[in-house]
Amino acid sequence: MNPGLGRFLILASLLVATAGALVAFAAGRTGSQEGLKWARRLAYAFAALMAGATLLMEYALLTHDFSVSYVAQVGSRSVPAWVTISSLWSSLEGSILFWGFVLAAYIAIATWMTRDRYREYMPDAIGVWLSSAAFFSFLLAGPANPFHTVPIPPLDGPGPNPLLQNHILMVVHPPFLYLGFVGMTIPFGLAAAALIKGRLGHGFLKPIREALLLPWVFLTISIMLGGWWAYEVLGWGGYWAWDPVENASLLPWLTATAALHSMMVVERRGILKGWTTTLILATYLLVILGTFMTRSGVFNSVHSFTQSSIGPTILAFLAAALIFSVVLLATRIDRLEAEGTIEGAVSREGMFLVNNLMFVLLTFTVLIGTVFPLIVEAVNGKQMSVGRPYFDSMVVPAGAALLFLLGVGPALPWGRATREQLRRALLPPLAGAAVFLLAGLAFGVRTPWTLLALAFGGYAAQVTLHQMWLPLVQRLRGGDSFANALVDGQLRRGRRRFASYIVHAGAVVTLIAIGVSSTMKSEGEYQLSKGQSASLAGYTITFLGVEDRAEPHRHSTIASFAVLKNGTQKTILHPRMNQYETMREPIGTPDVYTTAAGDVYLSILNVDRMQQSVGVSMVQTPLVVWIWIAVILMGIGGLVGVIPGRRSAAAAATAGVTLSREDGEGSPADGAIPRPAREGA
Amino acid sequence: MSTRHLAVIGALLLTTALPLPAQPDPPPAPHVPDASQFVGQPAGAPLEGAALDRRTSEVSALLRCPVCQGLAVADSPAEMAVNMKGQVRELLSRGYTEEQILSYFEQSYGQFVLLRPKFEGLNMLVWLFPVIVLILGAAIVWVKVKKLEKGPARPPVQAAVAEEDPYLARVRDLVGGGKP
Amino acid sequence: MNRTVLIVGLFLATAVVGVLFLGLGKDPQRIDSPLIGRTAPSFALREAGTGDTIALEQFRGKPVVLNFWATWCAPCYEEHPILVANARRLGSQAQFVGVVFQDTEEKILKFLRDRGSAYPTVVDDAGKTAIAYGVGGVPETFFLDADGTIVAKHDGPVSTELLQANLVKAMQR
Repeated sequence: MNPGLGRFLILASLLVATAGALVAFAAGRTGSQEGLKWARRLAYAFAALMAGATLLMEYALLTHDFSVSYVAQVGSRSVPAWVTISSLWSSLEGSILFWGFVLAAYIAIATWMTRDRYREYMPDAIGVWLSSAAFFSFLLAGPANPFHTVPIPPLDGPGPNPLLQNHILMVVHPPFLYLGFVGMTIPFGLAAAALIKGRLGHGFLKPIREALLLPWVFLTISIMLGGWWAYEVLGWGGYWAWDPVENASLLPWLTATAALHSMMVVERRGILKGWTTTLILATYLLVILGTFMTRSGVFNSVHSFTQSSIGPTILAFLAAALIFSVVLLATRIDRLEAEGTIEGAVSREGMFLVNNLMFVLLTFTVLIGTVFPLIVEAVNGKQMSVGRPYFDSMVVPAGAALLFLLGVGPALPWGRATREQLRRALLPPLAGAAVFLLAGLAFGVRTPWTLLALAFGGYAAQVTLHQMWLPLVQRLRGGDSFANALVDGQLRRGRRRFASYIVHAGAVVTLIAIGVSSTMKSEGEYQLSKGQSASLAGYTITFLGVEDRAEPHRHSTIASFAVLKNGTQKTILHPRMNQYETMREPIGTPDVYTTAAGDVYLSILNVDRMQQSVGVSMVQTPLVVWIWIAVILMGIGGLVGVIPGRRSAAAAATAGVTLSREDGEGSPADGAIPRPAREGA
Repeated sequence: MSTRHLAVIGALLLTTALPLPAQPDPPPAPHVPDASQFVGQPAGAPLEGAALDRRTSEVSALLRCPVCQGLAVADSPAEMAVNMKGQVRELLSRGYTEEQILSYFEQSYGQFVLLRPKFEGLNMLVWLFPVIVLILGAAIVWVKVKKLEKGPARPPVQAAVAEEDPYLARVRDLVGGGKP
Repeated sequence: MNRTVLIVGLFLATAVVGVLFLGLGKDPQRIDSPLIGRTAPSFALREAGTGDTIALEQFRGKPVVLNFWATWCAPCYEEHPILVANARRLGSQAQFVGVVFQDTEEKILKFLRDRGSAYPTVVDDAGKTAIAYGVGGVPETFFLDADGTIVAKHDGPVSTELLQANLVKAMQR
C-alpha cells in the first residue's frame, strides 16, 4: 500500500507544482489578485503533498516496509533507529525526496511570510519557486522514484552505506547542506521576479537579503560540518582537500557571500542592482551545478556516495535554468541600472567592489580548477588532475586579500574621506596587527603567508571589535544607560550591524585558524608494540593494547593510547578500525584529543594482533578547534541578522527616521551617510 | 624450471639490449622495476633523517593516490598510497630530485597522477585563467568606479524621488499595495 | 536588451553545459596508461608457493598477458576462471602471468587451490611493480607483444572476447 500512496503523492505534487507555476506566471502578467491567491494556495498544496510523501517514506523506513524499493535498498533491521531515520538522505532517491521536502518547507514559509506584501513581485517569485519544485517532483516521479513497488519484499535489507553509519556528523551534515542548497531557491525566485518586473525597489531588498542570509547560514555551517566530518572520519588529519564535492558546496557560498556584500552597496548607494541580482541567480545555478557534480558520477570524490543515472536530467535542468537566467539578465539588467554615485574609490563602497572582485575571482578559480580535467579530456582526450597544490597556490593570495579587506573595508567610512579621517581610521588597528604578528613569531610561526595572515587578521580583529561595539560606546558617551545602550544600540536598532560584525569576527578567527593549522602541523607514523611510546610536538603517546568489539552490523578493533604532556596523562584515545559486514575493506576511525591550543589526532594504519603491535599515524594540529567554533559563530551572527525585525518594522511605520538608520550607524565616520537609494521612475 | 627454459631466457637476454645486469646463473636475481629504467640516475644529493621525512611528505602531497577519490598520496591511508609514499621516500633517499620523481610517476600513470598541473600546452590555461579574470575584473571595477564617480547614469527625477521615498515604499509594502 | 550580457552569458552557459555533457559517460576511476607502445618495465619476482624467481624477460618471444590482481578484489573472482580457461586453451601460444599486490601469500595460495591455476603467479611485495605499471586498482591486465612492448591495457575484469582481441593485437606486431 505504501509504494502506491507514495507514487500518488509525488504525482499529485508534480501536477500541483506545475499548475501553480503556470497560474503564478499568468498572475504576474495580468496582475490578477485572484490568480496570486490561487498560486499561493497551490504552493501550500505542493508543500503539503511533498511533506506527506516524505513522512510516508520515514514511516516505511521505520516500520521496515521492504515493499518500498528505497527501503529495500537502504533499510536494515539491524541498524539503530537514528541510522534508519537518517537513511532518508543516505542514497540518491531518498536524498532527492529530502530535497523536495526541504523545498516544500521553504516555499511554504516564504509564501506565508510574504502573504500581504510585495504584491507586485510575488506572483513571478512563486512561479519560479514552483517551477523548481515541479522539476524535483518530476525527478521523483521518474528518474529517481523511491516508491517503486518491490513485488516480493525481502525480509531484511543491506542498510545504508557504512561510511554514513560511521559517524554522527553524517546525520547532521546533509540536512544542513540541503537547508543551505535548497534555500537558495527562494532568493533566486525573488531576484528573478525583480528582473521580470524590471524593477528592484528599495523595500524589496529586505526580503531578498533575509531569504539569502538564512540559507547562507546553513550553507556556512554545512561546509564546516563537511570538513569536520572529513577530519573526524577520513583519518588523514585534514579537513579540506579541494575535492570536487567540497568545491561544489563552496562555489554557491562564495557568490552568496559576494551578494550579501554588494547588496549593502545597493541599499546605501542605489548602484550594483543588476550585479547583485546576477550574483543571486549565479548562486542558485551553482547549487544546481553542485548537485550535478555530486550526483552525476562524473567527478571523483570522497564525499559522493550516490552515483546514478539522473546526471543527464539534472544537466538538462541546469541548461534550462542557465538560459532562463541569461535571457532574463540580458533583457532586464539595463532597467535596474545605477541611480546613485560613489564619491571616491578609497571608501567603504570602493572596498565592497574589491571584495566582490575577490569573491568572483575565487569562484572562477575554484570552478575552473574543478572542471578543468573535463575540459582537457574533451579537447585532447588526455587525463590530468587539478588538486590541492594548485588550489592552495591560487586561493591563498586571494584569501589573504579578503582577510586584508576584512580589516580595511569596515575601517573606511562611506563616501569621500579626508586624509585626516583616513589616518584616524586606518592607523590604530596596526596595533592589533603588530600584536598578532609578534604572538605568531613568539610561537614559532615562520611561514611568510601565515605571518601575513596573522598581521591582516590582527588588524581585522581590532577593526571588527571596534566597529562591533561602536554603537554601545557612543550611546554610553552620549549619556545613555548601559542597559539601554546594549539592548537598543546593539540588539534592537543596531542588530543588523552587530550581527554582521559577529560574522566578521568569526571569519577572522576562521581564516587565522586555517592559516595556522594548515602550515604549523606536525606529523609522524610509528609502529608500536604494547607499552611502547612515541613523541611528537610535546606530546607522548603510549600504546596500551587492542580489543575487539562485535556489534550487530559491524565489528570493531579498538586500540588504546595514553596521551601524555610533560609527564602527565591527559587522556586515553581509542582510534578504531570498523569492519562492516557489507564492506570488504575496514574503515578506520581516528580519535582526537582536542584542546584550545591544538589537537592530537591518532589513526590506526594497521593492526598485528599476534604481536599486539599497531601502526599509528599521529598528527598534532594547532588551533584546529577554532575553525569549528568560529564558523558556528559566523552562523550565529547570520541568524541574529535574519531574525524578522517585527519591532523595527513597527517602529519604521511610526518614525520614518528609524528606517534610514535602521542599522544603527551613528559614528562620526558615518556622519555623511547618504539617504538610502531612491528609486527611478 | 627447466634448463631449456633458462637457455631461452639467456638467448632472449642477449638479443634484447635491456639495462639489466648480466644473469649468468639461475635463478635470476629478484628485482622490481626501478626508477632508473624511467628517469636515469639520481640528479640530486641523497637525503636522510628529518630532511627526508619533510621532503617525503612534501613530494607525496604533489601526487594523486590512484585508488582514492582524488586524495593526495600524502593524505591517503590506502595501502596503495602507503606504497607510493614508501617509493617516494626511497627515491629521495637515493638522491632523486622532486622533478625526477614526479616524472617517474608521470611515466607510469600519466599527468593524472600530478596534483599540480604542469605549466605546458593546454594546462597553461588553468594557471592563466584566474590571472585573466583578476586583470579583467580589476579593469571592470576601475572603469565602473570612474564612471560612477562622474555621476549617475540617469539622474533621479525630482518628482520620482518624492514619490519613491524609502519610507513611503516601506509603508506601501507594509499595507500591501504594490505599485504596478 | 544588453548584448554583452547575452553573449558572455550564453558563452559561459554553453561552455559549462558542453564540458559537463562531454564528461557524462566517463568513468572517473579509469586511468589511461601512458605505457602503451613502450617496453614493459622489467621485473623478477618471487612465485607464490614455489618461491622461485620469475623474470618477465624469460617470456620474450611470445605474447604475455600480465594480470594484476588480489584476493580482496571482487571482480578478480569473476575473471579468474576466464583467465585460467584461456591460458589452458592457448597453451604455449601466449604466456599468462599473475601479479598479486597488497595481499598475503597464504590467501593467494588458498585462492589458487580453491579456484585452480594454469600459469605462474608472482608476489609484488611493496607494490613497486604495480606502481611502475601505473596500476590504479585491481584487476588490471596488460598485453605485451613478443618483444616485451605493451600493446594494450584493460581496467576491470576481462572476458574471453577481450583477451582474444588484445592478444591478436599483440601477435600482429
